[in-house]
Amino acid sequence: MTAVRDFFRTFFLWELLLGLKLTGRNLFARKVTVQYPDERGPQSPRFRGLHALRRYPNGEERCIACKLCEAVCPALAITIDSEQREDGTRRTTRYDIDLFKCIYCGFCEESCPVDSIVETRIFEYHMENRGENIITKDQLLAIGDKYEQQIARDRAMDAPFR
Amino acid sequence: MADIRSYTMNFGPQHPAAHGVLRMVLEMEGEVIRRADPHIGLLHRATEKLAESKPYNQSIGYMDRLDYVSMMCNEHGYVLAIEKLLGVTPPPRAQYIRVMFDEITRILNHLMWLGAHGLDVGAMTVFLYAFREREFLMDLYEAVSGTRMHATYYRPGGVYRDLPDRMPQYEASRFRSKKDLEWLNKDRQGTMLDYIEQFCERFPTAVDEYETLLTDNRIWKQRLVGIGVVSPERAMELGFTGPMLRGSGVEWDLRKTQPYEVYDRMDFDVPVGTNGDCYDRYLVRIEEMRQSVRIIKQCVDWLRQNPGPVMIDDHKIVPPTREEMKDDMESLIHHFKLFTEGYCVPEGEAYAAVEAPKGEFGVYMISDGANKPYRVKVRPPGFPHLAAMDEMAKGHMLADVVTLIGTQDIVFGEIDR
Amino acid sequence: MTDNAEATNPETVTIEVDGRELEVPKGSMLIEATDNADIHVPRFCYHRKLSVVANCRMCLVDVEKAPKPLPACATPVAEGMKVRTRSERALKAQKGVMEFLLINHPLDCPICDQGGECELQDLALGYGRGVSRFTERKRAVEDEDLGPLISTEMTRCIHCTRCVRFLEEVAGTRELAALNRGEHTEIGTYVGAGVHSEMSGNIIDLCPVGALTSKPYRFSARSWEMLSHPSVSAHDCVGSNLQIHHVRGAIKRIVPRDNESVNECWIADRDRFAYEGVYSGERLQAPMVRDDSGAWQETDWETALEVAGEHLKGVVTREGGDALGTLVGPTATIEEMYLAGRLTRGLGSANIDARLREADFSDQDRSGTFPALGIELEALDGVEAALLVGSEPRWDQPIVNHRLRKAALQGGAIMSLNYRAQDLNYPLAAERVAAPADMVAEFAAVAAALLETATGRQAPEGLDDLLAGAQVGEAHRAMAARLRDNARTAVLLGQGVQAHPRGAVLRMLGTLVADLSDSRFGILTDGPNQAGAWLAGAVPHRDAGGQPASQPGLDARAMTEAPRQGYLVLGAEPERDCWDGAAAEAALRQAASVVCLTAFVTDAMREYAQVLLPVGTFGETAGTYVSAEGRWQSFPGVAQPVGEARPAWKVLRVLGNVLELDGFEYDAPDAITDELAERCREETPSARVEWLAPGREAAAEDGLYRVGLVPIYGGDALVRRAPALQRTRHATEQGVRISAATAQQQGLADADRVQVQQGGHSTVLPLIIDDALADGAVWVPAGLTATAGLGPMFGPVALARA
Repeated sequence: MTAVRDFFRTFFLWELLLGLKLTGRNLFARKVTVQYPDERGPQSPRFRGLHALRRYPNGEERCIACKLCEAVCPALAITIDSEQREDGTRRTTRYDIDLFKCIYCGFCEESCPVDSIVETRIFEYHMENRGENIITKDQLLAIGDKYEQQIARDRAMDAPFR
Repeated sequence: MADIRSYTMNFGPQHPAAHGVLRMVLEMEGEVIRRADPHIGLLHRATEKLAESKPYNQSIGYMDRLDYVSMMCNEHGYVLAIEKLLGVTPPPRAQYIRVMFDEITRILNHLMWLGAHGLDVGAMTVFLYAFREREFLMDLYEAVSGTRMHATYYRPGGVYRDLPDRMPQYEASRFRSKKDLEWLNKDRQGTMLDYIEQFCERFPTAVDEYETLLTDNRIWKQRLVGIGVVSPERAMELGFTGPMLRGSGVEWDLRKTQPYEVYDRMDFDVPVGTNGDCYDRYLVRIEEMRQSVRIIKQCVDWLRQNPGPVMIDDHKIVPPTREEMKDDMESLIHHFKLFTEGYCVPEGEAYAAVEAPKGEFGVYMISDGANKPYRVKVRPPGFPHLAAMDEMAKGHMLADVVTLIGTQDIVFGEIDR
Repeated sequence: MTDNAEATNPETVTIEVDGRELEVPKGSMLIEATDNADIHVPRFCYHRKLSVVANCRMCLVDVEKAPKPLPACATPVAEGMKVRTRSERALKAQKGVMEFLLINHPLDCPICDQGGECELQDLALGYGRGVSRFTERKRAVEDEDLGPLISTEMTRCIHCTRCVRFLEEVAGTRELAALNRGEHTEIGTYVGAGVHSEMSGNIIDLCPVGALTSKPYRFSARSWEMLSHPSVSAHDCVGSNLQIHHVRGAIKRIVPRDNESVNECWIADRDRFAYEGVYSGERLQAPMVRDDSGAWQETDWETALEVAGEHLKGVVTREGGDALGTLVGPTATIEEMYLAGRLTRGLGSANIDARLREADFSDQDRSGTFPALGIELEALDGVEAALLVGSEPRWDQPIVNHRLRKAALQGGAIMSLNYRAQDLNYPLAAERVAAPADMVAEFAAVAAALLETATGRQAPEGLDDLLAGAQVGEAHRAMAARLRDNARTAVLLGQGVQAHPRGAVLRMLGTLVADLSDSRFGILTDGPNQAGAWLAGAVPHRDAGGQPASQPGLDARAMTEAPRQGYLVLGAEPERDCWDGAAAEAALRQAASVVCLTAFVTDAMREYAQVLLPVGTFGETAGTYVSAEGRWQSFPGVAQPVGEARPAWKVLRVLGNVLELDGFEYDAPDAITDELAERCREETPSARVEWLAPGREAAAEDGLYRVGLVPIYGGDALVRRAPALQRTRHATEQGVRISAATAQQQGLADADRVQVQQGGHSTVLPLIIDDALADGAVWVPAGLTATAGLGPMFGPVALARA
């Protein structure tokens, strides 16, 4: 009996038809496809994307050139030069991140004692010329200024876990 | 009739079915393989040597990049080795989280394998469906660690942070009606554990769908059944682990035989094959996904009921919380020292292995008492599998090589390291 | 020795530490025993070179039968003592101490320069708690300005008092103290006087926390990112061992390298902070030549070397070899000197000299191998009597002074014969202050005093001429007696002898005095490598290897007084580095061809030079210095040379090739060093000068006489460009010094500034009344920008109200 059933199933392409039925059903199902770039998938507040340097509300940069991020960076992507600023505070004169070296592990953010260097939600960025992979302190601060609200919101949301 | 002369063919490293950068030199006799010689090393990044040059924690991120489709399992092997040397045990909640994410990783890996394997053999649709489900798991990775792949989430002493209490949601767009959006965000209303639970409810149906498309499919069976048969004895001799070994009928799973973390408290079955061919290995992996869902469910239940720390409370190894760090001297010093120098690990050696999706992923580590390992050796599951390629491919047709690569679930990140 | 004998050795006791049996000297402290056995006991206040105070309590260890943990640094070992350094009680005690120390420590780690190399951090990690229990307010301490070298953050201080003890016990200046008590304890100067010791930088190294840090280094790097390479001090003849810390090729700081037989674990501030000059704005960035109109053009090395070669070759072919003179600066390495010597001689000239600050060369053929110290630095610690002639070691060789101080504190009689009273940090046993003109007679009187008691010794011929009628006084006899009656004695001549117009006679007298009193005889030379110059052939009368030259050339003074047509200047600023700066500058200005290999470019140089070749300076070039002891110390080039600069040995090597001279095919400095060392194998250090009856000098004319010695921060181009050092009191308080009597006599008692006239040159300087000086002597320092244009370091001078 089984042999007969198998014969007919084989002969009438039964398992293939079952597969077609499945794909056919999916043809009319609700789509989960995201129409990128007009539409995005959900993004976690913990997302680790492009870096930014933050400022205090009074406009003073947070970074104090402690170089913990430089030390902890496994990929040696961060280069910092520091000096004493005129007001006597410890400040960076250079804060470069090589985005090609960076492995986006987030250790820099973990290490920062003043919440200065952060990894933002930004993941769409590109370079057109050689050398643009190294983003400078000014660029990092500009990113921080632009996205400060979101950065602050995300940190606040994640604060209980860190 | 003209004589068929044997010739040598170069397969890869730029072949779409070569799974990355496998270069295989095939000695052919007509369409029949006489000898298959895999060449490796094109993705060598000296991960082991690199790990010997930096503090222990800084290499966690590089472990993700070994087998880059089962990221957290690699981290797991690495941190287990460190924990063994340090003699610390993470708190139970961290152990449950690790087990849960190991299994999520297993599903991630198997979905990737299934899609790619199907695609190699000629089944396009499975790939799309597999990646649909994979997306949910990637979201989990992102929600918990901040990245979709290279998580750097496991740390010696636990995991970096606890599971988030909410899942990120889709935002409104002109491509979606409000109803559609609600539907998309339906599962994302509760906590992360709710989301995982809902996934666990849904996922077995998805596995059924894959099976509908493949398991009985005559083309699939023609391409897989009887291909690359490895006897149980031979499989053990060749150093197979994971589904490659179980497909040949050997019941060996580190989660059962040498339970680590809380696997001994988990209720799950280990599927084994009977014939040792590609089809059996396929069936084993499909069943493993179902079993993983079982484990995840148990973890979710436990985690719901048992809040608590996810890191040990020893600031000589684990940095203090941010709040503590900004508030008291001891914590700041420990934070500073741990992020610049890391911790020193007592002298000794350790081997720690986890049942990664592809088999036994082991890390052998020697410490000379410094803040970085004296030697790290990674035992990748894929390496012995690939080494058996010649034996498995001999006598098969050229097209079967693609099937074999698929069934071995080759990922060059771990083989070349 | 058998085991049994060892066990009963009366000099040692046997103790047990952590289960290990240790044989340790009787009377030593527990911490010394554990340190020698590599058992680590945490500590803050203990330092092996300083006295024990046991006030940090960090080194508490568990001693059997003791009712409570005892501080290892203040517990003498006793026979059969059983000590546990890691027992529960010891660890608990250490943890408690650590917690107290951190209570008032500010949360400064991220901005603190000590972060990463902080003993407090290390011990907190190793012995302290993980989380603090302290929630009350922390105390804050007001900072004090300690001067341009040391930056303070006194809130971080944990009161180990290492700095206080260092300044009192080693530097001998007592500039810091602990004020108030208990929680109000502060380390400070009390009156805001600052710290001015010439060795003050060592308290930066000693401070276990970030309370005292280096001001020039402040905030510029982190300990973990710096690479550390060995080097040797380029500022005095001691050859202090240094470590250069650099980041990406830029020198960030200098720290001492332990060498018990040279500098122990200390270095002078000059060695520590002079590196700042490397990055001075006056560095020559690229090779420069004059174009047809005489204007300076930057060019590439190839062209510049061609032009330099043409100039040198041109002078020699036009005017003959004798028309070329080579002046070698004080900081040149022996490799550079050797190549410069061979290059000069290869061009047919024997006119090369590195003794730029010497005036009298008449004894050069009668001298020993080189101006050597004649005594091991380590042996200076134990001298019973030493006579310093024309030497101010505190400012010239601070490490020598430190060692003499140790001798003095143990009862050694340090005596001085100088142009001014010594400003020392220990008591002198005897002191004579003599005007330059009386110096010879004074020294001769000491020799005569020795001769009075020496049996069977005849006064050498001409000694009476030297006495010039001066009487042997009680003071001379006292000095002579101390030298004669003690076993370990030394006669050391300094800068003031080397630059004296009758230096040869003084050196001869030195040899005589040393012989008569059976003392060691030595010279504390100028610069780090005077000894090397004699060995490498950078003197006109000696070939490389120290052999007498067949055809001696002109010495440095002669080269400036009898101008040449061409000059090769290696690492010198002749207007400041030469004995007679004005004459040197004039000679260079009239020369047709001047090729300067220099790290720094001055305005004068731009005027007289035809080719400027940038060479590496301290830290940038590999080489070897031979200290006055005769110690050959090689060091690697570690810093990236500024701009286009290249190590001078490479430049000289290629210049040799350009000039088609033989044997300039070196690939590495070691090859040059080895070749030279091979030639110097048989040389034994000796500064002795054979006696030759001197003629009677015409009586010195009355009037003012310049004493123009080089001050502590004016010795070489690098130090002169180190901003922090130049802001110290030692550098800023420079001016014309005369005694009150002289001022009265000149009618300058109320003048603030005076015009100094020497030869045809004059400059205006502040006037400082300083009774330390002999009457008639005018202290006008050499080597400074302000005094660069003046004449000889010793010579008649006139003062006028400015």
